[in-house]
Amino acid sequence: MRLLSRNAESLFWLARYLERGASLARVIEMQSSFGGHDKDGGWNWLLTLHTDEPALRERFEPSAETIIAFYLTDSANAGSIRSSIHWARENARALRPFIPLDMWAQLNMFHGVIEEIGADDIQRSQLPRTCSQIRAGCLAQIGVAEGLLYRDEGYQFFKLGLMIERADQTSRLLDVKFAQGPGGSASAARAADPADDFVFWSTILRTVGAYQVFHRLETGSADPERVARFLALNPGHPRSIGFCAREIGDALQMLRGGFQLMRANACLEACEILMEGLQAAGRDTQLLGRLHEFNDWVQRTLIQLANEIAVAFFRAEPLERPAAEPPRPKKKGKRQSQTQSQGEGQKQS
Amino acid sequence: MATIAALKHPRMVSALEGYDPGDSYCELLGADKQPSRQVAALWHCLETSDLGSLRQRAADAERELFKLGITFTVYTEKDAIDRILPFDVIPRVLSAQAWARIEAGVKQRVQALNLFLHDVYHERKILADGVVPTELVLTNACYRPEMVGLDLPCGTYIHINGTDIVRDRAGEFLVLEDNGRSPSGVSYVVENRHLMQRAFPDLMAGLNVRPVSDYGKRLLGKLREVAPAGIDNPCVVLLSPGIYNSAYFEHVFLAREMGVPLVEGRDLVVEDDRVWAYTIGGRAPVHVIYRRVNDDFLDPEAFNPASMLGVRGLLRAVKRGTVTLANAIGTGVADDKAVYAYVPRIIRYYLDEEPILANVETHICGEPQGLAHTLANLERLVLKPVGESGGYGIVVGPKSSKAEIEAATAKLKADPGNFISQPMIDLSVSPTLGENGARPRHVDLRPYAITGRDTWVLPGGLTRVALKEGSIIVNSSQGGGTKDTWVLADEP
Repeated sequence: MRLLSRNAESLFWLARYLERGASLARVIEMQSSFGGHDKDGGWNWLLTLHTDEPALRERFEPSAETIIAFYLTDSANAGSIRSSIHWARENARALRPFIPLDMWAQLNMFHGVIEEIGADDIQRSQLPRTCSQIRAGCLAQIGVAEGLLYRDEGYQFFKLGLMIERADQTSRLLDVKFAQGPGGSASAARAADPADDFVFWSTILRTVGAYQVFHRLETGSADPERVARFLALNPGHPRSIGFCAREIGDALQMLRGGFQLMRANACLEACEILMEGLQAAGRDTQLLGRLHEFNDWVQRTLIQLANEIAVAFFRAEPLERPAAEPPRPKKKGKRQSQTQSQGEGQKQS
Repeated sequence: MATIAALKHPRMVSALEGYDPGDSYCELLGADKQPSRQVAALWHCLETSDLGSLRQRAADAERELFKLGITFTVYTEKDAIDRILPFDVIPRVLSAQAWARIEAGVKQRVQALNLFLHDVYHERKILADGVVPTELVLTNACYRPEMVGLDLPCGTYIHINGTDIVRDRAGEFLVLEDNGRSPSGVSYVVENRHLMQRAFPDLMAGLNVRPVSDYGKRLLGKLREVAPAGIDNPCVVLLSPGIYNSAYFEHVFLAREMGVPLVEGRDLVVEDDRVWAYTIGGRAPVHVIYRRVNDDFLDPEAFNPASMLGVRGLLRAVKRGTVTLANAIGTGVADDKAVYAYVPRIIRYYLDEEPILANVETHICGEPQGLAHTLANLERLVLKPVGESGGYGIVVGPKSSKAEIEAATAKLKADPGNFISQPMIDLSVSPTLGENGARPRHVDLRPYAITGRDTWVLPGGLTRVALKEGSIIVNSSQGGGTKDTWVLADEP
């Protein structure tokens, strides 16, 4: 029998939640290490980036402490690291007959570590240590998967989840400057003082582990335009959007060609749109000025792609259907959030 | 306080120091209260093992169980708590002769119960002949009229069976209960063995222990035997209630060992009275379902309409013979407490043989002789209501007050047919590692039998041990643990 739709969906979301947890840990680590250069807003931009401010304000007064707790340990926040790892583990639990034992054992233990993180561990002095621990745990899980997961259809779904989430997270990171700017203006991408720019974009590069390779290639400059192009389009760095898009395309091609799943066609079309958009961005000499617009488009295109995959393989209903059913009311405080989570638009049987 | 010298040269404490089974039958020493030639190596190894280091290794082994997720899950409102089944490192050993008897007895019992179920759902000869009371079967809550007249592949109803067996003071094996619905625990048998092989190879050295790791392969073979007629390469799946079920690990284990998909009700659909699974390539046919979902929840169309765990229309597919369920629907009528008392008679009726394994002596209070005996000896007997499960309503005579005995007598007189009585059994013990060394703790045994065209019994089974001193309750919910069970191979 071919892979169960439910297992394919779990593999996809296992990867997404792991990558999400790792990315968030990177961002928090970056802010706690280099945030001193941040003149306005402190930690608030994290809320802007994820459109979470109303959700946080429902329960807390925004401050460095509450924002850090909200993203690290708050299990009531579906986007927190604790929630991401919890849901990664629940998906892995459903996959236990399918995945190598080492994958489950590693995630099971890592989940235990995440559950143990207390108030003391997220104090400013301990925060970098805690974040790097989380990052290492997520990386280990992804590494175990790379090293042991059998290369059948299931692996392609794991890879799709990983690459879609990673592209999404990189695009969010490219939007940090926009989120930090007063009221989020497009011109905020380039600071008044070039020295500020250098520090900021170097920090972004460090966050994705691309600092060294970027400087090796670009010999010492951290020109905002070049950093943005690197993270959006570079074909060789595993966290650039362009790299992820190609991997997504490869996985879909494999499903269609290697595994004879014609259902991949609609997904490949959606992937084609992403590729073409990235090529257009490559020709755009003013990309930095339009970065927020570009990021917004990337994130929307990825959602469309994820939906096509869900419809083709996970028995999900298409999101935009004739008005047979009224659209579900948006959750309070989740305005315009582009963060997808498992089960959205899912047929309940 | 310990001196530095004492820390440098601690007195070695033997793991067996102070072990005394008393009057109970000891599983390791046997009737002679001396280690036999076969277990001498194990005994010597334990005797020369340092208690502290053995306990340390045992603790490491339990941590490993947790890490590997060999756990059952307790869900509270807020959390999912994974717990391991406590594991004792001193194995329970069964000689080749003792095992031969258990194996033959279990096979005989399963064969008789399958014949009984076929008869109950067809001609009902055993009822007409008055061997088992008709109303006991036909008004039983587990009786499923939907199964009447249905012919099952190989005539097998109970494909997977667990027989709960105890051993009395004389070392005699007695059947306490049959489990013919969804007996659980077999995963611990195999995982306990793997753990022993990894962590305690020294204890196994020099013993020829029969393997258990081929259970999954054997089970798949049996399930393929009972596929619907005309299916050459049947698709077998394991149906689980899902990750929130406390026995989910076992479902994972079984699916993994058989190499078959683990499905939930929502993965399956019935169309044209056939069962299909949703896959990434479309719907795929399913022919045999090892289901770990109770009858009630299997099909909302036929049984509990609120069930979210089952598959709508599954019974229709069963009736059309397009799919085989293991175990079949309606087997509960054979492993019921009330029917249990009649199993020796059921064996004689269908097989014309004496039972190889005896029941615990049981007095059926619905019969005048049994009632008279029970009334006269209540303070020495255990009185059990037949309609209840989970130990509810049980009166333990030797541990009851005079007033309690009187109240029980009144209830018994008002409705004798609802009761059976049994003597108190002094369960056998097995040395079990505690803080101060090995101590005698009561054990039982659940061998697993799988049946397609014929029956195969996994050598050994699950040994449950009551970890508290004097306790005879082996259930994991009440401080019970498990041991590896070693069946010794015949000597060449």
